[in-house]
Amino acid sequence: MASGSAAPALQTSGSRAPLRVRLSEFWFRHRSLIGFLFILPWFAGFIIFDLMPFAYNLYLSFTDYQIGTIGTPPWIGLENYAEIFTEDKLFSKSLYNTVYYLGFSVPLKLLFAFFIALLLNMRVRGMQLYRTLFYVPSVVPLVAATVIFAGLLNTRYGLFNQLFVLVGITPVRWLSSPDWIKPSLIILSLWGFGGQMIIFLAGLQSIPDDLYEAVAIDGGNSWHRLRHITAPLMTPTIFFNLLIGVIGGFQVFTQVFIMLDVNGGPLQSGLVFMLHVYNKAFRDFEFGYAAALSTILFSIIFVLTVALVYTSNRWVFYGDGEEGNT
Amino acid sequence: MRYSLFVRLTIVLGILLSLGLVPTAAQDCTGEVIELEFMNWWGAAREALMDELIGHFQAENPCIRIINQIQPWDNRSELLATAAASSNPPGIIMTTRPETYQFAISGLIIPIDAFVEEAGTDLSVFYDGEIGIQYWNGQLYGLPMPSAGGLTGMFIYNKGMMADAGFDPENPPKTWQELEEMSMAITQGDPLGIDVMGASVGSGDSNFVSWLYTNNGKYVTDDGRTLTFNSPEGIETLEWMINFTNNINGGVENVSDFFQDTSFSEGDHPFYDNELAFLGVNTSFFGHYKVNAPEKYDDTSHWGVMLRPYNGDNPDASHAGVTGYGFSGGWAYTIPAVHPSEKQAAAYKFAEFIGVHPLGGCAFLFAQSRPSPVRECNENPAYYDANPYWATVLEGLATDTSVPITPVQGQIAEVLSNNIEEAFFGMKSAEDALNDAAAEGQAILDEFWNEFDG
Repeated sequence: MASGSAAPALQTSGSRAPLRVRLSEFWFRHRSLIGFLFILPWFAGFIIFDLMPFAYNLYLSFTDYQIGTIGTPPWIGLENYAEIFTEDKLFSKSLYNTVYYLGFSVPLKLLFAFFIALLLNMRVRGMQLYRTLFYVPSVVPLVAATVIFAGLLNTRYGLFNQLFVLVGITPVRWLSSPDWIKPSLIILSLWGFGGQMIIFLAGLQSIPDDLYEAVAIDGGNSWHRLRHITAPLMTPTIFFNLLIGVIGGFQVFTQVFIMLDVNGGPLQSGLVFMLHVYNKAFRDFEFGYAAALSTILFSIIFVLTVALVYTSNRWVFYGDGEEGNT
Repeated sequence: MRYSLFVRLTIVLGILLSLGLVPTAAQDCTGEVIELEFMNWWGAAREALMDELIGHFQAENPCIRIINQIQPWDNRSELLATAAASSNPPGIIMTTRPETYQFAISGLIIPIDAFVEEAGTDLSVFYDGEIGIQYWNGQLYGLPMPSAGGLTGMFIYNKGMMADAGFDPENPPKTWQELEEMSMAITQGDPLGIDVMGASVGSGDSNFVSWLYTNNGKYVTDDGRTLTFNSPEGIETLEWMINFTNNINGGVENVSDFFQDTSFSEGDHPFYDNELAFLGVNTSFFGHYKVNAPEKYDDTSHWGVMLRPYNGDNPDASHAGVTGYGFSGGWAYTIPAVHPSEKQAAAYKFAEFIGVHPLGGCAFLFAQSRPSPVRECNENPAYYDANPYWATVLEGLATDTSVPITPVQGQIAEVLSNNIEEAFFGMKSAEDALNDAAAEGQAILDEFWNEFDG
């Protein structure tokens, strides 16, 4: 806490100071304690709802915890992990599906959100309306959006294929062909670009106009402005959205669960990692095994996050004269 | 002002009471009222019937209050697992046979033999096969309702579509070969896939097992220890299913597209629109059809019921149904272990009422024109008026065979289903798919039995 402000004047006379002054003294004297009290609710929530479940999950991953296990679940060491890496065919399949999904959905969503944010940052009449319209899809609940998309992607009656037929394109088996399941999920993921778009828009609006004016004075065009001003100054925002996108992409579940069956569609081509965890926990009732899968997922996300943060030193510009001064 | 508030509150309370929104204590109960949460999946048109059943039960048992907790089908396994494993599960739970076994072996539910003995429940009223599949390791865990039989042995068919294709609608297909011939004549396509379909033979493990028994094959040995679905009969069955799907329906993707986003229970299905001629159904079909298309249901010149066709080229094959294999096989009402004994006793009373009381499952199933696991209920002559094809239903029930399963059935079924799917997509031959599934499934089964025996 900053200590630059002067402490309230101490009372030198024998008479008691007014209540306001005493309170002020108390606040100042115990400012650290009060600060900690303010963050206590969050901290308690973190301990109870994040840290303890995480630790318990980690513990369960070394046990043969099944539904109905009463008392201490039997400790089996690394058996769950060994089975995952040596016998579980769906582990590699679900991991591949998830990486494929986020490998396309994250960059596409970033590009799309950034492009729309650029458009919405222009000075045009009625811009507030456009911004609202582009953000509206993001407030549609994911479940509702998924149901709508399932209808749009219906092979026989869906809007997409009806349009394809109108213009002479062969209809696509969006949800019945193993080749098209993942592209369908990626298309659906673009629907929720609004959140990233808002963050990009905020970032764009924080870029000082005088920088653009400098480019204009030097004879630069729109491309130069984008290349030399906007893009570098937006790298922290891009990095943030990338990080959140990757973390979220690994945990994709709801839309897959609703749009496909629990097997992840034909040939499990849409079986993402979280769906595999879900099946192990709630279909096979192997909670210890599912806990081990969750721990592996956490490790993957953790390693990737560290790697992204580490590499960000080379390409993220924070505008303080140094790149990657995180 | 105060008077006005009092009047308003009284009016609101009166309205709520008249709508039944305010819980009231059971009438005529002199002792303590036991509340019993009843977790079940009797939604859609059956909800009102279940409320009626509960009403009858509570009239006879005023000290037990049933809270009807109808659950959605979505997230079913998650809901069930978390509810059953919690420290405060529902008072009584509707479970399928595999779930009953899983919960039994986990100690989450209690055997009911002691209650049966104490109450003097006559188990002989049930068909042997119906009550038999509710036992695990020699102990009874639930009373059945509805019947586990009649799940796979029947098809409904559209007489008009048969006649239009030049076939006698009073002679539906009896064999695989006849089904092929008729389906070939009826099926029509358009640029988006199938427009009108003769029949789909399905592509999952349940469909395979259903057809397997109509080719004189078996899923597993009678002791439940050795998988036998990769027998020559099994391979022939899967090859036939794949050829049917590819040659008549143009592949499994066409079939998926045809049935995408359709539901028989919701009244949105190609059969209702004369776009599908033959459909394998379970006995819940009658109730759904009656509710969703009453005019068509009453017009028996429009539809008929036939038994699942068998392989006419196999002299040992005949019509057959399978009970207790799949997801919906063998529903029962099970009692969680954690409740106090009074609550468990109350739960058994309700389970017994559902199982054997004339105003319980008997009336509930009669209203849906579907069979009961209680023999006497099905002998009610009124069934023949309520269900125009009751004789065929009984004939189908007589052909049903119970499949022995274990608590790891779900995992084996998943393995089988995945391999069958690969065969349908041409990634494996039928033989390889079944052999792979049998090897992997047998390993799961062996591991289970080793632990169980050990």
